[in-house]
Amino acid sequence: MKAQPIDVFARDLEEEVRHAVLDGSSSGYDKRLASLTSDFADPDLLRRTAGRIKQHTLENLDTYLPRVEEKLIANGVRVHWATDAEAARRTVLGIMRENGADKIVKSKSMATEEIALTPFLEKEGIESLETDLGEFIVQIDHDHPSHIVKPIIHKNRRGIARSFEREGLGAYDDRPETITARARTFLRKKYLEAQVGLTGANFLVAESGRMVLVTNEGNSRFCLAGTDIHIAVTGIEKIIPRERDLPLFLSLLGRSATGQQLTVYTEFISGPKVEGQPDGPGQMHLILLDNRRTELLASKCRDILRCIRCGACMNVCPVYRQASGHAYRSVYPGPVGAVLSPLLAGNKFPELADLPKASSLCGACKEVCPVDIPIPDLLLRLRDRAKQEGVKSPGTPPMGGWAYMASKPSVWRASLAAGKVMNYVPMNLIPVPALRAWRHSRELPPWRGGAFRKWMKIHAKEKGGES
Amino acid sequence: MRTDRHPAPGKKIQLMATCLCDGFFDDVAIATVQVLEHLGCEVSFPEGQTCCGQPAFNAGDWKSSRKVVRHCVQTFSGAEPVVVPSGSCAAMLFHGAPLEFEEESDSDEIGRLASRTWEISDYIVNGLGIDSWPGRFPGRIAFHRSCHTRETDSGPASRKLLESIDGVEVTPFGEAEQCCGFGGTFSVTFPSISSAMGHLKLEHALKEKPDYLVSGDMGCLMHLGGMATREGRPVEIRHVVQVLRDSLRNGGLIS
Amino acid sequence: MSGDRETILKRVRDSLAGIEDRTPYPEYDESLAVTAIRSLDGDLWERFSERFVAVNGLPITSPEELVEYLKSFEHTTGYIDPDLQTILAPYFGSGFTIEDRFDRDRLDDYRFGITRARGAIAETGSIVVTDRGTSSRLGALAPWVHVACVRRDEIFRDTPAAVAHMEDDPNVIWITGPSKTADVEGIMIEGVHGPGVQICLLLPDDVRKVQPTDA
Ligand code: SF4
Repeated sequence: MKAQPIDVFARDLEEEVRHAVLDGSSSGYDKRLASLTSDFADPDLLRRTAGRIKQHTLENLDTYLPRVEEKLIANGVRVHWATDAEAARRTVLGIMRENGADKIVKSKSMATEEIALTPFLEKEGIESLETDLGEFIVQIDHDHPSHIVKPIIHKNRRGIARSFEREGLGAYDDRPETITARARTFLRKKYLEAQVGLTGANFLVAESGRMVLVTNEGNSRFCLAGTDIHIAVTGIEKIIPRERDLPLFLSLLGRSATGQQLTVYTEFISGPKVEGQPDGPGQMHLILLDNRRTELLASKCRDILRCIRCGACMNVCPVYRQASGHAYRSVYPGPVGAVLSPLLAGNKFPELADLPKASSLCGACKEVCPVDIPIPDLLLRLRDRAKQEGVKSPGTPPMGGWAYMASKPSVWRASLAAGKVMNYVPMNLIPVPALRAWRHSRELPPWRGGAFRKWMKIHAKEKGGES
Repeated sequence: MRTDRHPAPGKKIQLMATCLCDGFFDDVAIATVQVLEHLGCEVSFPEGQTCCGQPAFNAGDWKSSRKVVRHCVQTFSGAEPVVVPSGSCAAMLFHGAPLEFEEESDSDEIGRLASRTWEISDYIVNGLGIDSWPGRFPGRIAFHRSCHTRETDSGPASRKLLESIDGVEVTPFGEAEQCCGFGGTFSVTFPSISSAMGHLKLEHALKEKPDYLVSGDMGCLMHLGGMATREGRPVEIRHVVQVLRDSLRNGGLIS
Repeated sequence: MSGDRETILKRVRDSLAGIEDRTPYPEYDESLAVTAIRSLDGDLWERFSERFVAVNGLPITSPEELVEYLKSFEHTTGYIDPDLQTILAPYFGSGFTIEDRFDRDRLDDYRFGITRARGAIAETGSIVVTDRGTSSRLGALAPWVHVACVRRDEIFRDTPAAVAHMEDDPNVIWITGPSKTADVEGIMIEGVHGPGVQICLLLPDDVRKVQPTDA
């Protein structure tokens, strides 16, 4: 049997990286748990309510999308729609050209990662600079983020200090204070040079057209203080119905992501700056991105669109923690990525069909998800889809023979007694090399097939005798 | 996770022993019978039973899995509760099966089986309304809440029973929410990750020097016990129901 | 792109057509999201201060105290909102250079920035600022120390109250502590892009409500 790519990745992962990820993720988990359970009597009620609100919104996007558009326009925002990544990239470029702009400062956004905006803009001669510290480091290293909230969870200070030295940001110094101070000094000039501040959006309130952005570093706020034009790119699923839903979602997002009651900067943005104010963008654009979200909406996996990108599912996921984010070979790693990435891949689904299999289905992700997404169920649905579409992928042992046996009691019983059931009970129904893999690191208990049935027969007889 | 089961009517139950007990852990199935009978239940064991359908379900071969689940429905006909000494097989019937039958014409039947399937601890505590356990069982226990009982009442139920036993000390351990790495075929198709997960679990649990590693799923225990033995630091594994039965024995409540 | 608009909306309608029972909006009590554990009764400035300190903010109750703080850290050059200058200038002695216009070309000359907040939230220890109410976005963000000035009667009890009274303003921001990051090995560092010190100054009660200049 061919090895699973994620397992190979985990096996070959450098110990240093594995430890960084294990520690980083477990502290994320602990903080989340502490802040949720210390503050609320029943955190699950919050999660379930938030999940239903999002599900409701998704199932009524036909109403909410035009509603939010209307509000945005009334607020002075220019709204653009993009069916796919290419359309979104072109729209950004168009706005840049229209305004004679060539420099962007960017605040962390998963949507722009998804549409691979930066490499595209760079090819077009536009400087697009990440300003979130982690994303900035990823960018100078030509690396990829490995976590949606902690992009450089896989890196340590020594590597970062070396990168800073290489980039001329100062002689080697690996103290986190120094690293941060150097980035501060370097980036604040950039905010003032750029014409455009580019952000994502965490929420979009249908009722008011307010867009919500949360950051801790203050970079998005700086992007929107230094520049003249604000472009926001966001998936069509980011809507929540009412303003009054904000406290619920903000409480859950901060706590689930970093264990904070609220992230440091929670910005409610509804349009260009007030006329006459000295700083801030006088022009604001919002690009609403489809990029297969409507396809997902039609599928049984639409629940994944509730995701508010908190990263809690990766912190708790035992597979993510052993394999790290890069093992997922896509923008969204961990449990959410294992569902989202193959679905967003379109006809490249088969290339990522192994991701949903990289799970013991332990359900930890669902248990922590602030919007209660049944991730294990969705992983299973995708496994079923892969099977139905005949995707060849390691990890799906042939089940037809087993199903035959398991629906023929007499055959089952006979082989139980003969020990042949070894060929088809759970961990044994797999071809022989796999059994070897199991035995490589574990002992099997002795075979006692049929023993219970014998006991039960005698026992039943004795019981019968008693009565 | 669907747990909207009706209160258990009467004390007649059907036992689903699970294929792991059928093949390796007969004493767990025996303990289940003894414990239930001690509680006054009349236990029947439908001979035609094979497996719950989970291996194929998890592997993504839902068609094959449905075939086996349909066989289950036939085997466990009637209205009596089906009691299972495995959180994961029980969850297969009350959660997994309804999912894979969503679009099948016999989904109602599946739903009916789902609503009378119980994991053993859940059945004892929430089906029969028992919340403390008699007898005596001396020992320090590391309890691993098996993952397929997340968000069901099984974990709390097992814990409640264990903690109420005279002599039992349930010791907490680090990163307890993490999966042991078994996951059925997962342990075979993802050998590196699976053993790394198992290792992490063992490290945390064994650090507390428990006398027994206890869980409601023999899959987890088989994996963890097998790893521990291979690593040269064997640990005693017990199903919750074995602890319950041994407690009764030690207390002279059953023979 | 208008073509894209129609395409997407059509796709959305088609995708939803198959759903028989759409999930209804779950009515719920807003208090669900309010921390049940800590008491929010009594003086709201007190409650706010407790939370603000917990997020590493520094609550200050008098202009004298503020000046003393700035002096002791040798933060003697700063920016101040012109409206606040008339109130606070008398407290600053000759050792200070205070400007009421923020010059972005000399960004790093300013060690502190004093601006008006439009409110605060006791439950979370957050300061509420708006675009209209902030004389300079950069002045409130670039200096190492940001001093947000708030009146006692502007403090909200909790986040639902703050949302319910959110102004019709293009840029409302809740600031909950100093700018920070834990990107490098999970170690918390304050003062990343924004202020490393976040102060909230309680304005004397007799200060008139500072109105946005153009409201
Ligand atoms: S799936 Fe849930 S837990 Fe994972 S990132 Fe999204 S919202 Fe967070």
